[in-house]
Amino acid sequence: MNINRIAARAFPAFAIGFALYYAPAYSFTGATSAFTWPLFTYFPAVDMWNWGLVPGNDTIGPPMWWYGWICAAILVGLVFAVISLLLPERAIQRALATLVWLVPICAFVFLLNWELPWFFPMWKPIWFS
Amino acid sequence: MITALLIIHGVLAVFLIGAITHQTLGVFWPRRPGQTDFVAKARGINPAGYVNAILVLYLLTFALGAFLYPTYRVYVRPPLQDLMLTYAIGLFEIKENFAAIGLALLPSYWYFWKKAPEFSTTRRFLVAIFFFMIWYNFIAGHLLNNVRGFA
Repeated sequence: MNINRIAARAFPAFAIGFALYYAPAYSFTGATSAFTWPLFTYFPAVDMWNWGLVPGNDTIGPPMWWYGWICAAILVGLVFAVISLLLPERAIQRALATLVWLVPICAFVFLLNWELPWFFPMWKPIWFS
Repeated sequence: MITALLIIHGVLAVFLIGAITHQTLGVFWPRRPGQTDFVAKARGINPAGYVNAILVLYLLTFALGAFLYPTYRVYVRPPLQDLMLTYAIGLFEIKENFAAIGLALLPSYWYFWKKAPEFSTTRRFLVAIFFFMIWYNFIAGHLLNNVRGFA
């Protein structure tokens, strides 16, 4: 299979899968989250790595989940890329060319909903609950 | 060492800002024949010629930012929390999210610019997204760097 034909589907699908996972991962990760959104947790104060979601404490310091979110989102993006290669090329190429910019924009809006409390402490993220 | 890396991170971001701004101007406001003023010259570039530079600069800036992130988390963010400067933390949160999603968009950005000339709308949206993200991250980074002076 031509490398360009692979890239035409796999690259946009990767970006879409990444954004679709990353946005809720950031939004729903907390010390008491039911789902382990980050692949791992890094504790920079003690240079310690742990698999999955681990909350911080006074002994090991603050947790960093950003690396873990990115790695988990990369895996999801790769899954999306593989799935895209199994679908008919003509049918999805044009849709992917639109979704590749539309989904990240939607992800930014979704993320903004969960970032606003930093600026407006009274802001309650809008969510189905 | 960390300060030196932070300065390099900032310098790379300046190069990246320049490249994405030239490309954006070239895409959305191209120079018309006969225009020779300074701004027109900044717009009169081949936007596709900036793709590889933007890709490499983005990766380098991202990698350095990711390397510096733990220092921010341990030494910068806790004082911001103590000072109740939550808006500054929010600025950084948005910056990290833009940076991550931008990283995932890079392969598509390269593909649609280099290999798929028929998708001009996609190229324009991707350039606009990168332009917005990179400028935001640049400004937010500088605000954070100076935020203790505002407090």
